[in-house]
Amino acid sequence: MLKALSSQFNRIKNVISLKYGKDPGKMLIHTGVAGWIMSSAAQIIGIVFNDKISKEQKLFMIPQEAADATVNIVSFLLVTQTFKHIASEAMRTGKWIPKNIKDFLKKRGQIKNLGTKNFNVLKRLEKAKVGRRTLSKYQNVCNGIDVVATTTGSVISCNLITPAVRNVYASHSQKEMIARMENGKQKNKKTDAAFPYYVSLSDFKNHSSSLKI
Amino acid sequence: MKIPRCEYIPAYNRLVKKIYNYIPSWTIQGKKTTKSLRWIGQHISSPQNRLILGATALMSQPFIDLYNKRVDEETRKVSAARTVAKIIAGTLTGFTVRYLCILAVDKMTKPLNTKRLKNRKLQTFFTPKKLPHSMLKYKQALGTIISLAVMTVTNILIDAPLTQYLTNKFVHNEKEYEKFKEFQKNLIKNNQIMGGKNA
Repeated sequence: MLKALSSQFNRIKNVISLKYGKDPGKMLIHTGVAGWIMSSAAQIIGIVFNDKISKEQKLFMIPQEAADATVNIVSFLLVTQTFKHIASEAMRTGKWIPKNIKDFLKKRGQIKNLGTKNFNVLKRLEKAKVGRRTLSKYQNVCNGIDVVATTTGSVISCNLITPAVRNVYASHSQKEMIARMENGKQKNKKTDAAFPYYVSLSDFKNHSSSLKI
Repeated sequence: MKIPRCEYIPAYNRLVKKIYNYIPSWTIQGKKTTKSLRWIGQHISSPQNRLILGATALMSQPFIDLYNKRVDEETRKVSAARTVAKIIAGTLTGFTVRYLCILAVDKMTKPLNTKRLKNRKLQTFFTPKKLPHSMLKYKQALGTIISLAVMTVTNILIDAPLTQYLTNKFVHNEKEYEKFKEFQKNLIKNNQIMGGKNA
């Protein structure tokens, strides 16, 4: 049993080292999405176990929270992935290339079709028999571009797109909620005048819309 | 967990192709630029990423909330206060947990051939059998993955209560400030009236 667990753990370690050891941008995107999913799940669990929220409100808030999470995750994934993808492609094809690498390839006559889709800087460098140190330095520059692109993408998606979209969605939901409560109030007035129900800001205060981790 | 690959969507592919064609060619010149990019590639990981996200969020999100004309003024203020509280709490816990997890993984990923280790089993607990392409990146990735698990707990125990506490503090301060402003206004008004009478 312990042996099996240990071999599983070793497999996980190897997968992580193979998958993310080379590509820090990929790791940032994957852990970012996992973080969003987990924080949204925590929010939904928080609503489910909150006694201060009525059953009717829960029925509204849980889908709202799920929709909020979807907006967050989709925008994060699409924008960040696009930024990373384009930056990686530009580095792979040599559209963006460090000067020393360009000069090296020029000297070895490997510069033809630079920047086109079929060009692969790493393969050309291998063909030109580049030194290990230069290759490692070039890969670090590629990682740097990857991290900058991923971070820029996540800043744009998390701090500009998501709050703007969320505000539109939240205000629409709030209006719907108030209308629903107003209807309920009207019904309450008719059926039980002793316990009227009023809408107040506190109805919306005891739950948080989204918590970023 | 399998992340869906956007490359399988044709419309996405077309968009990426278009953007790719529009971006200009760039020969990265200058030792400083290359050195900085190399440094970023090696040292910037998820904690720093979270810090950058938090700092930029403070510069943008509260203003988006404050200028949201779809809701009334009070809701706008409360929502902006909550956003600031959420960013501060989230960034503080997010950065700290990620940083500490990566540090812990670093301490427990000593190379297998290291001599004189005090507690070999613990100090090589996370060391992979196959050497990764970059040990530093491996440690950062593993630390970040572990921090996600830790954050499911800290999210509920630290993040959420801290957000609530800070929101209440900001809203209370805002109300106090409004009262003070009202008081100042009345004082100026009264002074003007008195001044008029004295003249």
